[in-house]
Parts: sequence; structure tokens; C-alpha cells
Amino acid sequence: MSEHNAFPEVRKARPPINVPGRASFNRRQFLKRAALAGGAIAVPCIIPASALGLNGAVPPSERIVLGGLGVGNRGTGDLHWMLPEKDVQFVAICDAKQAQRESVKRIVDDKYGNNDCAMYRDMREFLATRTDIDALLIATGDRWHATAAVMAMRSGKDVYSEKPSSMTIAEGQAVVATARRYGRVYQTGTQRLSEDNFTFANELLRTGRLGKVHTVRAHIAPWDAAEMKYDWLPAEPPPPKDDVDWDEWLGPCPWRPYNSAYVHGSWRGYYDFHTSCIGEWGAHTFAQCQVAIGAANTSAIEYGYVNNPTGDGMVTVFPNGVKMILSRGDQWWHGSCGVRYEGTEGWVAVADGYAKPELSSPALLADFSKLVKDYMARTERPMSHVRNYFDCIKSRCLTVANPEVMHRSMSTVHAANICMWLKRDMTYDPVKEEFLNDPEANRLRSRAMRAPWII
Amino acid sequence: MRSIHSILVITLLLTFAASPFAKAAQPTTKDQVAKLTAVLKSDAPQKEKADACRELARIGTKDAVAPLAALLSDEKLSHMARYGLETIPDPSVDKALREAAGKLQGRMLVGVVGSLGVRRDTKAVKVLTKLLHDSDNDVAQAAARALGSIGTPPAAKALLDALPGVSPANQLAFCEGLLRCAEAAAAKGNRKEAMDIYDRLREVKAPHQVRAAALRGAILTRQTDGLPLLSTALHGDDFTLVLAAVRTAQEMPGSQVTRLLAGELAALPADRKVVVIQTLAKRGDDAALPALFVAARGGEKPVRIAAIRALAEIGKPAALPVLVDLLGDADLEIAQAAQESLASLPGKEVDAAIMTMLAEGATPRRLTAMELVVRRRMVSAIPALLNAAGDTDAKVRTAAVSKLGELAGPAELPRMLDLLAKAKSPEDLEVTEQALSAVCLKAVKPDACVTQVETRLAESQPAQKCALLRVLGAVGGTNALRGVRSAVNDPNVEVHAAAIRVLGGWSTADAATDLLEVATAATNPTDKMICLRGYLALAGHADLPTDQRLAMCRQAASLVQKDEEKKLLLAALGGIASIEALDLIMPYMDDSATKAEASTAVVDISDKLLKRSDSAKLAPQLIDPLEKATHTASSAELVKRAQDLLKQARSKAKAKTKP
Repeated sequence: MSEHNAFPEVRKARPPINVPGRASFNRRQFLKRAALAGGAIAVPCIIPASALGLNGAVPPSERIVLGGLGVGNRGTGDLHWMLPEKDVQFVAICDAKQAQRESVKRIVDDKYGNNDCAMYRDMREFLATRTDIDALLIATGDRWHATAAVMAMRSGKDVYSEKPSSMTIAEGQAVVATARRYGRVYQTGTQRLSEDNFTFANELLRTGRLGKVHTVRAHIAPWDAAEMKYDWLPAEPPPPKDDVDWDEWLGPCPWRPYNSAYVHGSWRGYYDFHTSCIGEWGAHTFAQCQVAIGAANTSAIEYGYVNNPTGDGMVTVFPNGVKMILSRGDQWWHGSCGVRYEGTEGWVAVADGYAKPELSSPALLADFSKLVKDYMARTERPMSHVRNYFDCIKSRCLTVANPEVMHRSMSTVHAANICMWLKRDMTYDPVKEEFLNDPEANRLRSRAMRAPWII
Repeated sequence: MRSIHSILVITLLLTFAASPFAKAAQPTTKDQVAKLTAVLKSDAPQKEKADACRELARIGTKDAVAPLAALLSDEKLSHMARYGLETIPDPSVDKALREAAGKLQGRMLVGVVGSLGVRRDTKAVKVLTKLLHDSDNDVAQAAARALGSIGTPPAAKALLDALPGVSPANQLAFCEGLLRCAEAAAAKGNRKEAMDIYDRLREVKAPHQVRAAALRGAILTRQTDGLPLLSTALHGDDFTLVLAAVRTAQEMPGSQVTRLLAGELAALPADRKVVVIQTLAKRGDDAALPALFVAARGGEKPVRIAAIRALAEIGKPAALPVLVDLLGDADLEIAQAAQESLASLPGKEVDAAIMTMLAEGATPRRLTAMELVVRRRMVSAIPALLNAAGDTDAKVRTAAVSKLGELAGPAELPRMLDLLAKAKSPEDLEVTEQALSAVCLKAVKPDACVTQVETRLAESQPAQKCALLRVLGAVGGTNALRGVRSAVNDPNVEVHAAAIRVLGGWSTADAATDLLEVATAATNPTDKMICLRGYLALAGHADLPTDQRLAMCRQAASLVQKDEEKKLLLAALGGIASIEALDLIMPYMDDSATKAEASTAVVDISDKLLKRSDSAKLAPQLIDPLEKATHTASSAELVKRAQDLLKQARSKAKAKTKP
């Protein structure tokens, strides 16, 4: 019996939707050889494939077996970053939408010149049956990110999840706890943490070249609002389950009648599905700022309500006293997902599309290469977000956008949203992970999940 | 009933006008809860009841529990009822959920079980224990996870008791529940209880992630007493546990852990060494250095490279001698890795060692030192580089000058100009010229550099003069142009030619007048061609006003004689979207040598003009040139474009003439 009578269903084990050419991998063998190959990734001389005459290809037993969950437009971009990695083999896609499943299969099969990419509609069945898969790319809508990540990690998969990493503070806690519990590698798709311009800006701050930092500014999305939508779009007849599995699409969110607009991207702006204009870009920019100011493992403690629909201009304060100001416009940068760091001795601003960061003193650019390379040597993190994920799968080290970093920055996002929703100033305790003297706010830290997707 | 419902709906709509959380008229919580629960009890549509549940999740009190609980068995609203209930702090919620758990089944039961877990209801252990054996796997799994969230000893006992008989389908959930119980026990300081659970799980034949989790917990709860477990896992047969051990070690502070890992290193096979070394790198503990030095110096190449990188990541100057030694390793990849690590190793000692290498080493070592100097941005090494720039060894000399280009600033310009003056070989001249250009280009005040360069022009030898002119050309600006202009009439042929080439390549319009003058007066055809080409290239700059560009083309039109010159003019005109440009082009359409280029220009211009908002007005003037282009265009593709555009032009012209 279903929790909701619109979808009475008894879950059964069933074969994948197509017949995959499923690789048979010995996990122990893979991990063992991958450890050596991990050193080989950046040192091509030790890849044995060249000796085997494979023209640089990595033998199957050294490959990371990758699968996809909900790979749409954004996920397809991720997929195009991942597929060229020679130590990765993408083998299966699971998606509630048939068109998307087939689109991903076409891309993958074209890449490998075969018909092997398996397709699944039901995520739980996919996770339970594909024990050969080491790692996942999760690029569903926001509503599914944390739930899918937790379920995948419990199933023994490493996870690359698109941002935002959570819909609520409680979801973020679950991701952190699960990754830690099972020793899983997790990376959120905040790729600017692996881009040289943004890294340079962070390193300028870390090395004191801008003096003592007092203010950082974080871009929030110029569309949508902090105020959310709660309406239901008019009901449409649900399509056949194999076309769009609406129940699966909704996942842990409250039920509402099917409308095709949701599955075509119009879920943004809805409280049940989205983290507002603040989360849309704040998922990136808050993480950038928090890493830059050395607050990656905490969250902002003060949130000043601003009387506008978007949160533009909200001032948040971190435990180290640094202010982070939310900014919707382009006055501090020119491009998307901008950040600006202001210290006692200068400032730096960077956004997408910059040839080089903007600086109070262009002379600071002289150290661009040094700072980026020093960072890479100090952290062994490359300027490739997906490569960092795959390297960490082999080394078992923490990724740059690891669960703690993402949970803490997303907690700042969630707290800023709650501040806007309740229309009052907030104080948050990042240690106890609760709002001070505000029971209402604390009750918005979690949302009951719809069965059976309870983590 | 209907009217009451309508009033409630209107009230709610007003309350939630801006946001369901907004406070409109600041009614009391009690009043709000009463209104919301009234909706739940009414015949309101599902959507309104769902909204009421959502609002009660924020403000609901004990008064809302019964109305919400009544919906737990409503298939359409059961989830939203839990949504409302889960956050209400009153214990009556737990009682309601427990009661519901005894009555429901399927997804509604799974949901209620999940909520009991979220609320950590210790009184629910009994009912959840029973549900561990439910025939519905979803229910049994939810019960296991819920018991794990409750995490008390009775909850753990229930799971441990059920574990031997668990079905394969439910095993992961039961293990998850136990892992949660163990974490809860450890968090409360009950390490023994936690240890027992982890040890029990280590005995279970379970998937790799459970084995890894159990080992992790068993080590962490034992704290330093768990280190033998860590050691055993590193040497064991299960590579999953090797990786779990290194991951766990990353969570454990203290040099004791570092020493254990470092101590095990020598006895491990290569694949394990790599991951242990990567973990030692993350720990950043000096205690790992001796073992890493050994690993870096010899053994399997992947291990050596991992160790060399780890030395950079740990970043302690103590690694300096080892890395310096490895610079001379017979394996070039090892040497390269050492150089990369040395480049990032912080510390004045490292800088000093590099300075010594630069001053005293053999040539290859000195060249490496110079690479490191630049990579580390060691401005303190600039005097040493200046000295090396006068070295008798050409390799050292050119490398030093090249590195000065990357590292030096305007303050070093006089010394670098001296180097140019002394340069004899073409190689020395070229590298010094490039270094000077680089220093001037990155200067905050390039004009100050230009002044120094210009001053040296007069006193320089011809070869140096040519180089300095090219430096001026690279920097650009009014002052630099002045210097180049003065050299155009230099009596020395080479200097004159260099000045012409620099002028011809000038990238800003301030050189236009000079270029035109030289092109007009030139007796040397090469000079004329270079300047005309440069002049027309400037006329092609889209950021200049159209009128200025047209005027430049008109000036050039009076100069062009050769076919090649005419083609340059047509190329420039083709980039100017104006009727006047077409007028200038038309004469060339009748010339067999230029009709192809002229047709291309006509088509390009017409294409742009027909896309403009005033295209209807312009269209009649495009018809003749386009008609001609349909006959003179050099390719079928261009003919087709011309025909299409002609059709458009005629259509727009016709439309314009209609009353």
C-alpha cells in the first residue's frame, strides 16, 4: 500500500530497462591496482597500458566504474567532463525520465562505440543491483541530491553530487554522517573550488597579501527570489511510468499532482524543490567565501534580515568576525557566481569568464602562477574538479568539496533562507547547529520525508 | 459547513499572502493553530490541508497533534500529517505515532516508522523491534534505521538479536541501524558498548562498505588501543580494509598514528605504500619524514613519486636535502618530481639552497635553480640573475636573461638595458629584447620604461637600436610611437627597416597619420606596402568611428596602385557597414583583378546593412551593387549569398515604396 494513493506500488526487483553489457569487476582487484594507478594518473610513465599497447588507455581492471543518477542538462555537462578521463568507465544511468535516460545512453554509447550503457528507472533497485559500480554522478534536481547521496553511499558508492548538496540542515548532517560512517568519498559539484582564478583569489587571502580580511561578498542568483512558491500547477494526466515516473521524480518531497512543467525545469522557485535564489548560486559562492576566509568547517552566526524579496544586501557574520554580504547584482564583478574579498590592504574580485581576477593592485597578479601551483602542491588537488574526485576515490582522501565543507556552507544558505522566510534577524550556533532563542527557526531545519525515501 | 470552510480558506489565504511564514496581523500562536487545525478537520481540498500541515510544522502545538494524527491513515495526507507532526516538540506526538504504527501498513507505516526514528522516541523500541520482522522489507528496513536513530542499548540489542536471521535484502539496513547505535553509544561515552557493536559487525559477512564502517568504528572507539587493528588491516588480505584503515587514520590525530603508518611503510607492498604515503601527506606530521625520505630515495617509481609529492604537501624544510639530492636522480621523472616539490617547499632555507645552486652548481644545476627561482618568485635572486646574465656560459646567460624577463621589474631596467648594449650574439640580443619587452609590458607605469628605452636609442648600436624599437612597439603608447617615428628616417638601413616594421605593426590608431605619411612619401615599395598594410589594418578596427574609418580608406584609395594594395583596401572596406563604403568599392567590381574581393566586400556589407532597423531605407541603394555581385562573385556560395541578399533588398525596397 502506498503512503499516497495516487501511486499504489509494490516494489519488485526487475531487470534493467535495456540489457547491459555489464562488466564483471573484482572490486578488491580494482582498488588494489587503482592505488598504484593513483600515482600513475599524474605520472604517465607508470601507466602499464602503454606497455600493453593500448595507446594510453587504462586497462579495465584499473578503471573506476561510474554510474549516473538523474543526469539532465547540468549533469550532461558533468558527464562530458568525466567521460574523457581514461581511468573511468561509465556503465549505467538511472533516471525517472525516459528521454533523459536515453539521451545519456546515446552519449555514453557513442563515446565507447558500443551499446552497453544500462538504463534504470528505479533508484533503489539500481543501487541494490549494480554492486559493480564504484562511483556515481548525481545530477538530479535539488530535491534529490542529499537523499540520493545518502542512499548511494550506504550502498557503498562514492558520490559526485551536483549542488546544492542539501535542501535542509538536517539533510546536510545526514550526508556528512553517512560519508564519515562508511568512509565514502563525496564531492559536490562546486567546480570553482578547482578553478585557478578562484583558487588564486583564495590563496591571496590565505597568504595575507590582502591584509586582514574583513568583508567578503557572495553572488546570489539574479533570477527567482528568496520568497518561495507554494502553489500547485494545474493537474495533468500523469504520463506512463516508463516515460516519467512522477512518484520517483518527487522522491522525498510532498506529493502534488503531475504537471509536465515541473519535469521540464519549472520546479525552481518552489519551496518543496528549490533552495531559492540564495541557494542557487550561494551553494557555489558561499563555499568559495567560506573556504577563502578559513570558515569552511563552520557557518555564519549572524544573519541580518533585509526587507526585499531576494536577500540582496543581507549581511552575515562568521565566528572569526568576517562579514559576508549577499549581492544579487553585478556591481562588484562582471559575470556569474562572483565573489569579492576585501582586506585591509586590498581587494580581489572574480567571476565566471574572467581572463584573470580583478585586483586593487594588478601587481598582485605577478604571483598568480606561484600561488596556484603552491596550492596544488600543498593539497595535491588539481585544477580539475572531476579529476580531484577520481583521485580521491583512489587515495580515499577528502575532496576539495567534501561533505563537511558543503554542509557548512549550505547551512549558511539554509539559515539565510530561514532568516528571509521568518523576516527577522537570526543568530545561529554552528557547533550545536541550532538557532538561538528561535524555536520556529529551529523547526525549519528539517522536513519530514515522504516514504519510502526516508534516510 | 461549506461557509465555515470558505471563511477559513480566506483567512488562511490572507495569512499566507506573502509567505506562509509571514506574520500578517500577528495573531497568537494559539489562534493560528486553531485556524489551521480547523482546516484539517474541514472538507477543505487536499492542497489546503497540505498547506495547513506545512504551517503546523513551524508553529504547531499539542493542540494540533490529534488533528494531524487523524490524518496519518489518510493515504493522500499521511505524509503531510507527519510533516506537521515531526517538528512539534510535545511528547503526545510520539504517542500518536506509536499508536499509528500499530495500525498502518505499507508506505504509511514506513513513514510513521521513519518519523519515530527522527524523533528518537525511546518508547518506540518495542513496536519497532516487532517491525524488524515485518514481511514488508521496506517496513523492516525503516524499523532498523529508526532503531539506529534512537540508538539506546535496548534498540541496539533488538538489532543485534535480529541480525543473525536477517534476509539479504534487509542486511544493509540492519547494519546501518547498528552503526547508528554504535555512534550514539560512542557519543555518550559508552565506548565498550560501541566497540561490541562494531566488533560484532566485523564478524558479519557483509558488503565492503559495512566491513569498512565496522573497522573504522572499531579502531576509532578504541582510540590508540585500536592501532593494532589498523596495523593488521594494512597487512591483511582485504584491500577494502586497507583503504578503510588509511581513511580512518586520516580521522585520527596524534603522532602515534603517524609513527605507526610510517613504521609499517617499509613492510608494505607498493600499492599499499602509495595510499599510506598519501595519507601521511594529509596528516602533515613531521614524524613521517624519515620514512618518506627512505621511500623517496629508492624503490618502486610510483611509491617514490608519491613520497616526493608528500614531502611538498607536508611542506617542511627538513625535506630540502633529500629533494635537492633527487634533482640529480638518474630517472628524469623522479628528478622532475623533486623539482616540482622543491618549487613549493616553503622556507628561507629553501631559498638559500637554491641561491647556492644558482651561484655554485654545474650548468644543469644552475639552470634548474633558475627555474626554481622564477617558480618561487624569488625576487631576492634578481641580483644573482643579473650576474648570471653576464656569465661566459651561453646557456646560463640566456636562461638568466629570460628569467629576468619573468621576475624583474622597472627597477632592473637600466641593468637590463646595459645587458642589451653588451649583447653580441643574435641569441643574446633576442632573449634580452624579449625580457625587456616583458618587463616594460607588466610595469604599472610603462611610459616610465619607455622613456628609459627611448633614451638608450640614441646611444645604441644599430643591432641594439633595432631591438629597442621592437621593445617600443611591444609596449605601445604615444611616447613609444614618438621614439619609433624618430627612427624612421635613421640613416642606417637596418634601423630604418626595423622602424618601418614596428610602425606597420602598430595596433592603435595614433599611428595612422605616420603610416599614411610614410606610405605617401615612400620611394621604397616595401616600405609603402608595410605602411599601407598597417594603415588599412587600423582602418579595419571596428572600435573606431565609421566616419574615421571611411576617411582613412578614402585616403588610402588615392595611394593604392598594385592589385595587392587594392585588395587590402577592399578588405578594410568590407568591414565597414555603410553605403559610402559600397560607393568606394564599386569601381573595383569592374576590375578583373579585384572583382572577387570587391564582390565579397559588397556581400558582407549588404548582409550587415539588411539586418539593421533602417534597412528598408537603405535597401534601394544595395540593389545595384548586389546585382553586380551576383555576376562577379568568385564562388557559387558567394553568388548564392548575393542572390539571397538581393532578393531581400528588393523586397524591402518594394515594401518601402508601397503607400
